[in-house]
Amino acid sequence: MNPFALTLAPQAALAAGVLGSLGLGLLGRPRPWGARALVLLAPLAALFAVRYAPLSFDPPLIVVDAPGLAWQIVIYAGALPLALCFSGDDVEAALFLGATLGMGLLAAAANLPMLFVGLEFMSLPAYLLVARAGRGGRSRRLEAAVKYFFAGALAGALFLLGLALYYAETGRLGPGAGALGAMGRAGVSLMAAAALFKIGAVPLHWWLPDVYEAAAPEVAGFLSTSMKAAAVLFLVRVIQIAPAPVFAAVLPWLGAVTALVGALLALRQRGLQRLLAYSSLSHAGLLILGVGAWVRLGGDSGALTALLFYLGVYALMSNGAFAFLAATGLETRSDLRGFAARAAGPAAAFAVLLFALAGIPPTGGFVAKLLIFWQALRAGLALPTALAAVATLVSLGYYLGLVRDMYFEAPEGAAPAASAAPSAPARYVLLACALGALALGAAPFLLRGLGGILR
Amino acid sequence: MSALTALWAVPLAGAVACALAGRAARWWALISGAAFLALAAAAVRLSWQAGAVLAVTDALPGAFGVSYKLAADGFSLSLVALTAFLNLVCVAASWELEVSAGYWACFCFLASALSGVFLARDLFVFYVFWEATLIPMFFIIGLWGSDNRRHAAVKFFLFTFAGSIFMLLALIAIVVAHQRATGVWTWDLDALRGTDLGAAAPWAFLGLLVGFGVKIPMVPLHTWLPDAHTEAPAAGSVMLAGVMLKMGLYGLIRVALPLLPSVAESWLPILGTLAGINAVYGALCAMAQTDLKRLIAYSSIAHLGFCLLGVFSGTSQGLTGAALQMVNHGITTGALFLMVGFLYERAHKRGVADFGELAARAPRLAFFFGLATFASIGLPGLNGFVGEFMCLSGAAESPILFVGVPFFALLGVVGVTLAAAYALPAYQTVFWAPAGPGSASPRVGDLRPRESAILWTLSGLMLWIGLAPRGWLALLEPSLRGLVK
Repeated sequence: MNPFALTLAPQAALAAGVLGSLGLGLLGRPRPWGARALVLLAPLAALFAVRYAPLSFDPPLIVVDAPGLAWQIVIYAGALPLALCFSGDDVEAALFLGATLGMGLLAAAANLPMLFVGLEFMSLPAYLLVARAGRGGRSRRLEAAVKYFFAGALAGALFLLGLALYYAETGRLGPGAGALGAMGRAGVSLMAAAALFKIGAVPLHWWLPDVYEAAAPEVAGFLSTSMKAAAVLFLVRVIQIAPAPVFAAVLPWLGAVTALVGALLALRQRGLQRLLAYSSLSHAGLLILGVGAWVRLGGDSGALTALLFYLGVYALMSNGAFAFLAATGLETRSDLRGFAARAAGPAAAFAVLLFALAGIPPTGGFVAKLLIFWQALRAGLALPTALAAVATLVSLGYYLGLVRDMYFEAPEGAAPAASAAPSAPARYVLLACALGALALGAAPFLLRGLGGILR
Repeated sequence: MSALTALWAVPLAGAVACALAGRAARWWALISGAAFLALAAAAVRLSWQAGAVLAVTDALPGAFGVSYKLAADGFSLSLVALTAFLNLVCVAASWELEVSAGYWACFCFLASALSGVFLARDLFVFYVFWEATLIPMFFIIGLWGSDNRRHAAVKFFLFTFAGSIFMLLALIAIVVAHQRATGVWTWDLDALRGTDLGAAAPWAFLGLLVGFGVKIPMVPLHTWLPDAHTEAPAAGSVMLAGVMLKMGLYGLIRVALPLLPSVAESWLPILGTLAGINAVYGALCAMAQTDLKRLIAYSSIAHLGFCLLGVFSGTSQGLTGAALQMVNHGITTGALFLMVGFLYERAHKRGVADFGELAARAPRLAFFFGLATFASIGLPGLNGFVGEFMCLSGAAESPILFVGVPFFALLGVVGVTLAAAYALPAYQTVFWAPAGPGSASPRVGDLRPRESAILWTLSGLMLWIGLAPRGWLALLEPSLRGLVK
């Protein structure tokens, strides 16, 4: 077959899904089963297509390299839980698949304008998705969506400004510009700031907790995993195309501080979804630390493997934790009191996920954290790593606190009524994610080839 | 895969069976516990006959230089056997408790993880097992402990985790330094020996010391221990004091000293002083306690101080004594915690002053309690004497002098004297002194046959090691010889 067709086959599968969902809307009558089938089939087809993408194909606009393909696997797999729990109409299906398509485009972008296209393509549908498929009142959803939109628009504007500065100095849109002057460096920093905005690095994180809290749990899971993976890759790509010495100095500390601030803020939360939002902030900090290590190691594949593995495990942990909220309809920490006595199975699965999020063996969360710490120490980042270790310790305060609430505390009065309708598929997602997070604790033995994927 | 895998897989299978079995869980705990003990005993026997190292499994290589490598020498196996034995003791002692299946599953899981800690020779595998012990103990304290259990469980977890995360960073630093020097990624403990860390070495040693020191516990990292031991259920205290405290010392001897011998050597004066402080401070705190469980908890700090004295004496005699004393302390303190648990089951009190004249009401309990107390003090003929004597004589041979006298041995002698001063008055008050007006003694009946049988086995071991320690020393000595110069 024509290699060009195979190159973008994953993205094409998603685009077909988007068009199909929009076509469903034209049929007049609502067809929920059609939307559900498309939402599930398109990412699966994309995952399947990734296997056959040719590695060598290298046109000017798009690139098919090992990291891009590996990241696509994590992105599409991270979208599957939302696809399984999907309960929206054809418009929401189109939005969801459109956002995923944007992430796919981002993963294949070879130059800066293509990165911008991918960024906007994944962001715009996400704003609408939060506005439509949210939890709680309409005004709260809209407020969060507008906030998300403004943050995203700001990130986009920063990126464009940075791109303009970079282009003005170097006259290039792709890699290979050589040493940068003051304007070029400012441009690169602005573009990286846009990526950090999307990842949610402190102090560019202000939009994130509100958005994650107002979104439906499974949508928040999607945003915290696939979207986060795409944003990390976005940062990696910006640095790959336009490297600048400033990253090696700033990123590790930024990551460590983000991890610590996220953990400290999460300690104070009463709402479960908001707590998980801050927890995802803390995890983003470790990812940024990992990117910092990657920069300092000179674009080494080991650090990229660590990031990829972290994102893969995090896709299980975070999607699973949000699926727990979707499956049980619990909202605050006090709802959780004595929960283990009421529902042993979901409580045990959630406890496994919490231990994994905290990075405690024998779960995959531990291996992920170990790899990041390892790469950071390899890069000679002793102090930021120690700070990140302190952040891990702080995070134990709330992860362990949630386990304590579930298992050791007596319920307050009668069992709280679930405020949102519990979702049945979410229970299976929860179980699958918990088992996966547990099994990946043996990752060095299960995935023996992992070290070689990105070579 | 060799037979060593069975030493952690069998109890793990037991844990799964318990979790699935519902009401019949205690039977599965008993069966897997008995099987585990039989396997451990067979391994000890083989090791006795074969000499130092029983078997090294074919290392199963994984990604990132990690490999699944287990090995067992006499030192490891003595602790695995202690784990298996105390695990079965705990199952037998809790037999009549009305508890859910999770209780039994937690104990089996704990036994499995502990066994793995003592067998692992790959630092990654070691750390995984090390941390995995926290999860069951967290639930054992938090779900089945006494009034203040929630606080104690979280405190226990946070303290240990805080220590071990810095230990993890130190381990990674050693692995990275080894890769820089040789170009090979490996987590193999034996391969990493002799790695030169340069200026980072003291920091790495500090990380390891904090990680292991929290567990031992070394003063001033000990504050989690009295709470955890006091609030845990009786069987939980037995496992905590009997085996889990040994993890710290084991890690120190197995990992920290062999990997960074030069730092350890230059820090020896400070480390020995800390050990002496442990022995004296623990004893002084124990003297001030009015709660029997808290008293035994603090006495554990003092006893582990003796072991540390032996280790930091830098002599082979002290080290062997420390290794033996680790087993001794597990048996003796296990028995004491168990008996306080029996008292608490009957009277729902555990203050020293809540009892009196118990020797008349419960003569069997008085006998066993007296025997364990004397063993704990270090009376000749019982196991505690052999270990403490060897630790102290090792410390006396240590070259570090203070105003002309062996300073560490001096601290140790003070500790020994204080041991009698905290243990005997408590024993006297509870069992022989006249009961006060509000005494809980009338509610205490004597031991039932099941309880007596458990204590007979424990007491038999105390006498065996006390009267005929040669076999035990022959098991330990060859394996320790290679670890420290």
